[in-house]
Amino acid sequence: MRQTATLLVLAVVSAVPILVGDRYLAHIAVMVCLMGIMALSMNLMLKVGQLSLAQVVFMATGAYGSALMSMEWGLPPVVTIAVAGIASGLLAIVLGPFLLRIRGVYFVLLTFALAQVVNLILQDWVSLTGGNSGLFNIPRLELFGIRMARPETLYPVALSLFALAFAVTFILDRTRGGWAMYSIEENEDLSRALGVDVTAWRVWTFGLSGLMAGMAGGLYAHLIGFLSPDAFTFHAISVSILVINVVGGVRSPLGPVVGALLLVPLPEVLRDAHQYQLLVYGLLLIVFIAFFRSGITGFLFDSSHVPATRLSRLRQLMRIK
Amino acid sequence: MSQYVLQIIANGLLSGVVYILMALGFTLIFGIMRIVNFAHGELYMVGASLVLVLYAHNGINYFLAVALAAVITAGLGALIERFLFRPFVKTELNGMIMSLGISIALQAGALIILGPAWQAMPRPVSGALDFGGLVIPYDRLFVGLLALAIITLFHLYLKHNRTGLAMQAIAQDAETASLMGVRVGSVSALAFGIAAGLAAVAGGLMAPIYSVAPYMGELPMLKAFVVVVLGGLGSIPGAVIGGLVIGLVESGFATVMNSTAALIASFTLVVMVVLVRPRGLFGKAV
Repeated sequence: MRQTATLLVLAVVSAVPILVGDRYLAHIAVMVCLMGIMALSMNLMLKVGQLSLAQVVFMATGAYGSALMSMEWGLPPVVTIAVAGIASGLLAIVLGPFLLRIRGVYFVLLTFALAQVVNLILQDWVSLTGGNSGLFNIPRLELFGIRMARPETLYPVALSLFALAFAVTFILDRTRGGWAMYSIEENEDLSRALGVDVTAWRVWTFGLSGLMAGMAGGLYAHLIGFLSPDAFTFHAISVSILVINVVGGVRSPLGPVVGALLLVPLPEVLRDAHQYQLLVYGLLLIVFIAFFRSGITGFLFDSSHVPATRLSRLRQLMRIK
Repeated sequence: MSQYVLQIIANGLLSGVVYILMALGFTLIFGIMRIVNFAHGELYMVGASLVLVLYAHNGINYFLAVALAAVITAGLGALIERFLFRPFVKTELNGMIMSLGISIALQAGALIILGPAWQAMPRPVSGALDFGGLVIPYDRLFVGLLALAIITLFHLYLKHNRTGLAMQAIAQDAETASLMGVRVGSVSALAFGIAAGLAAVAGGLMAPIYSVAPYMGELPMLKAFVVVVLGGLGSIPGAVIGGLVIGLVESGFATVMNSTAALIASFTLVVMVVLVRPRGLFGKAV
């Protein structure tokens, strides 16, 4: 009930930038969508019990891959975004069996180090990536003959992708697949014993999350028209999507959506005061991880926070949704 | 040629001891509380900023300023442990997220108080030792020797002091240690304080050499991270050997290629170590 209401509110909010047609608002809205997709891709990995700081790697692969293909080979961005996104997903599937063997805190360290390596390569491989000065004049996206140089025209595309990413996560959450994922997160040995192919689930989830992050990266490249390693740092992406997940709540697929909607506009609101944005991020992380570990959606949806009727109490005990 | 190699080794050892200073605290915190402290670089920054304020702005003697900075940061560390980390002992992921929050909040605090610019301060030690072509700046030499002395003291403390031994006991098995009468809570706070103090000393010592800015802690934190993963999370000997190895490897890469290549090399090493041998050179089995 509360979820349906939240979904309705979100649907109404998502229409606002289209109705208002303001350029600045549309830019923020596109960034909400892109960071929302990134946050969902991290959320998928959290569902199988692994905190991945490597999502930024797939975003960078998608962004640089798509930009370079469209610049060097003259391919239309629609094609290159799709190709680069799929390539990012494949990269995740190839890396998955090696990386995902590592568990817990070591996986976090591993993905953190990997993201550092990739960012440093982006800085150092000047002939390919332009190094710290970056790639300029990346062609704009063109769809149905409309050139999307402006955020207002790009927003519906970004929103559709965001909605799609959300729908996939949502459906996974509601089907046997989702239960398999939760079972992996909660008790790996037990789910293995029950016949869940834990490794395969992890690798496919990683692949899907890589695809999502790659597409977000590709879209970003052609939206901004300029790429530099600065945009793909630990602080710029990994920390932000972690804050979004923690504040929004990791259990519900709506968590990253709500989190992105609340937090991504913040840097724009506090535009001239980067330090206060950092302060808010830091304090939010501290407060939420200390006191509201299930995030906003956990607080909204989790029945343990509402006065328990006998039925809901029973459901809780039986763990029925 | 041998001159060249000697210079690389000298530079490597001199940065290695500073990495060790950072890595010891980082690994001590992990060993005792199983928390990967992403805020460790910010404790280094806090130490350096305090030295800037005390020594450069208020004219307090440099050495006194470093000592004061260490004590103040140690107190801050103990408070952070007591109120922010204590609830997360042994829940590694949430503790790590908490440390990220603290790291960002401290950076933001420094940005608000000090502003974003790099601030230089007069060097308390200047000049360079020319040893038949082998050039070692006196300030680096001084930092290196002082760091070495502190590392030795820290080692003696852990091996021979009752509280130091208690820290090792907690790292091995907190519950058993608590049954043996070790007050796990206060010893943890003390350990975190010492770790914070070590980071602050490293920051204070490097402050005149590299200047001070809110983001200055990020790189040393990355280095400490590399060193500790290589040596084995939670391992003290690992941090020492790891620090020297990373110092030397980086010095070599930085001389032959450039410093970005050196960082790429050390992080690739981290990826390999975690993939092949997650416990590093000296860590306990994962």
